[in-house]
Amino acid sequence: MNAESQLIMLWENGAISIRSILANRGRSFLTALGVIIGVASVITLTALGQGARISVEERLGTLGANLMIVYSGEPRGTSLVRPRTTNIRPTLTADDLAMIESFPEELVVMTAPESSLSGQLKFENRNVTATVIGTHPNYTEIRNFAPIYGSFFGESDLENRRNVVALGAETYRELFPDGRDPLGSTVRINGFPFRVVGIMEEKGSPSQDASAIIPFSTFRRSLSGEDRYAMINIQAGSPEVMYDLQEQIEQALLAARRLPSIELADFYIANQMDLIGTVTEVADTFTLLLGGIAAISLLVGGIGIMNIMLVSVTERTREIGIRMALGAKSSHLMAQFLTEAVILSAAGGGIGIAVGYGLAWGLQRFGGLLTSVTPDSVVIAFSFALVIGLFFGGYPAYRASRLNPIEALRYE
Amino acid sequence: MIVLTDIYKQYRMGPNTVTALGGVSLEVPTGAFAAIVGPSGSGKSTLMNIIGCLDTPDSGSYRLAGEEAAELSDNRRSEVRNRHIGFVFQAFNLLTRANALENVELPLIYRGVGARRRREVATQMLERVGLADRMHHLPSELSGGQRQRVAIARALVGNPSILLADEPTGALDTATGEEILSLFEKLNAEGMTVLLVTHEPELAARAETVVRLLDGGVSAIENTKERRS
Ligand SMILES: Nc1ncnc2c1ncn2[C@@H]1O[C@H](COP(=O)(O)OP(=O)(O)O)[C@@H](O)[C@H]1O
Ligand SMILES: [Mg+2]
Repeated sequence: MNAESQLIMLWENGAISIRSILANRGRSFLTALGVIIGVASVITLTALGQGARISVEERLGTLGANLMIVYSGEPRGTSLVRPRTTNIRPTLTADDLAMIESFPEELVVMTAPESSLSGQLKFENRNVTATVIGTHPNYTEIRNFAPIYGSFFGESDLENRRNVVALGAETYRELFPDGRDPLGSTVRINGFPFRVVGIMEEKGSPSQDASAIIPFSTFRRSLSGEDRYAMINIQAGSPEVMYDLQEQIEQALLAARRLPSIELADFYIANQMDLIGTVTEVADTFTLLLGGIAAISLLVGGIGIMNIMLVSVTERTREIGIRMALGAKSSHLMAQFLTEAVILSAAGGGIGIAVGYGLAWGLQRFGGLLTSVTPDSVVIAFSFALVIGLFFGGYPAYRASRLNPIEALRYE
Repeated sequence: MIVLTDIYKQYRMGPNTVTALGGVSLEVPTGAFAAIVGPSGSGKSTLMNIIGCLDTPDSGSYRLAGEEAAELSDNRRSEVRNRHIGFVFQAFNLLTRANALENVELPLIYRGVGARRRREVATQMLERVGLADRMHHLPSELSGGQRQRVAIARALVGNPSILLADEPTGALDTATGEEILSLFEKLNAEGMTVLLVTHEPELAARAETVVRLLDGGVSAIENTKERRS
């Protein structure tokens, strides 16, 4: 056969397949349904997995760039985000802080010690419980947590132990429900008067939004009476130096405490890279797992195609016999049924893509879940559907092409 | 030229074997018009299928235009069916979901003829069998005689050298059968080799040669007419 007649055959096979698919609309739909569900679920589930990854990454991104934190307390995991930091017994000293600050600029850009306790805030007749944080002015930059209105306190406030406070967004809303400008107002924290200098941006984390942030010097003198810090926030020079820096700080702190190993330490260090790494790894595993489950359903869809195609070949035995009697070669029949399987799975794949996009959109719009359809998942799911059509259509097509023409013609 | 020598064909039916053809030898010259008659089960269809390269004998030689059919590959046999043989069956064997025109186009598809040319040739063929006004009807919308004429148009569309008709009028009334036979006579007069299996003596009598089959063997060959040349 020359190239032109091959092309004609290809076209004819397409036409024959489409006609036979349309002649049995209901059954064709059921055949493709498995593939539709498979492709749609691959797309939707990986979109969910990626959505989870993105939202976690966004969350972590707002923690602050190259953040590393030294915590008081026994080592427990590498979590940067601790639900409560108010009950920790502070163990980090001014010497520790000085040691960390003595690292060169390439390693340590800046530091901010931090301690906190649960305090009572009072304004006029309203009483509010908030996390009172004592820290340094660098805190805003290291933690990527800036005032949205007014300002944070400055170095002179710290040096002069001024009673100034920046209110967390939630704390502000509760103390000033009428939404009035709080700057210059005096609120009482555990009975001490503090002048409000700013309102912090909303972070979506309760420990930061329900807070009141004051200079560490004031915090120590008026509220805690404790020289030591609960935490030291560090901004490292770059992601590359993070692990090396962590190791050096750990060794220096252990040496200062004359401790042989980190297991016995009264501090531990966590860094952002660890956390992002762990979380994205989990999200990727999750995505892979969901994708895998969906791929299995696609495989089941393929078996559905094979099943129905086998029935179709049996039902059309006589048609096959007629075509053979008129000169169809086994390759023609093979191609005809393969084309049909591939068209079915391609159509199923196409519909599946649309359904997958629709579901991902719907979950985000109405389900409040962040989803992100990845082009990869669309391409992979669709190609997988085609391969499955070819693979599972192959056996029925082979059966059709191997029929004995006489027996096929005698078939009732 | 069709030359069959000592053809055997057996079918296994459970423990028994049925001998459909038990040593048939037969020559049909190019351009002949032969009728094959015999009681039901005598092997007529089996013989036609072997001649049409749809089936292969268990033993014996079948030479078609000098070539030994048993030595042809499956693909080559498909090509022979497609180019040299036109089949007409008692059961019409039309594709039920395709209209008359599409049915007639079928052999040309497997020959790689383009759609436009196919349509042209198939239309001419349908006009020739008197179905110009039924081209777009499905088989279920046609009478028995019309269906058989579609099948004949389909058998002829590829311009074959041999027409094999296995009881083509068996399901039709006498008048329609008569019409179809006239068409065969005309084709034969134009040079086509025609083999006709029939039950009806009046129809068989119109062939030049009548081959009588009985229990899988040739019982008689009668030359009823002078060969036209
Ligand atoms: N595919 C088959 N399987 C089993 N037996 C068959 C088959 N085809 C034909 N036969 C048997 O072979 C014999 C000849 O059949 P056939 O050629 O169809 O006869 P005819 O067409 O003369 O009625 C019959 O006995 C028939 O039952
Ligand atoms: Mg018969």
